[in-house]
Amino acid sequence: MSRFFVVKTTANQERLVANMMSMVAKKNKANVYSILAPKELKGYVIVEAESTEDLVKSIRGVPHVKGLVRGEVSFNEIEHFLTPRKAAEQIKEGYTVEIISGPFKGELAVVKRVDEARNEITVELIEAVVSIPITVKADHVRVVDKKEEVE
Amino acid sequence: MTEVACKSCKYITSEATVCKICGGRDFTKNWYGYLVVIDPEKSEIAKKLGIKYPGKYALTVS
Repeated sequence: MSRFFVVKTTANQERLVANMMSMVAKKNKANVYSILAPKELKGYVIVEAESTEDLVKSIRGVPHVKGLVRGEVSFNEIEHFLTPRKAAEQIKEGYTVEIISGPFKGELAVVKRVDEARNEITVELIEAVVSIPITVKADHVRVVDKKEEVE
Repeated sequence: MTEVACKSCKYITSEATVCKICGGRDFTKNWYGYLVVIDPEKSEIAKKLGIKYPGKYALTVS
């Protein structure tokens, strides 16, 4: 029966830690079955292992591991990471978002339209003198303010 | 080197030629979430996602 543990890592190094842990686990013959690094969970990885001892074996000497979170989590608690909802489903019209990739990176914008099927949103940049609607992938924005726009 | 994910089975590889798992040829750079499966027979996560071979997988591809 596998159990789920949470390991704290340096932010943005989750993938590196997952790779290194899998190599160390194989080398030390630790009963670690899988390592999960969801995009929503920054600075943590979820490890599926047989026991705490196996977990400890698999993090030995791995850089960017900052510690273990005490206790364990149940499968129900991590299930929602496995079938992530589309990013567009979590964004509504009027939300203020920050564009996090592409030529408009760092710009704040107001959401004008959401296309859930295509996972795209149409936004207008706040600081632009002339407002031009631009369409970006919903994964390329971060919600800053959930207040819907007051006209 | 950029890693790409197979669009059908979500397997992550750095060689975008033919997928080792499903034989698919459609790869994408836009993938999110990361899962390393070491023992697919014992892993509940792998069972839930229908993963049969060890390796690196994405959680979502677009």
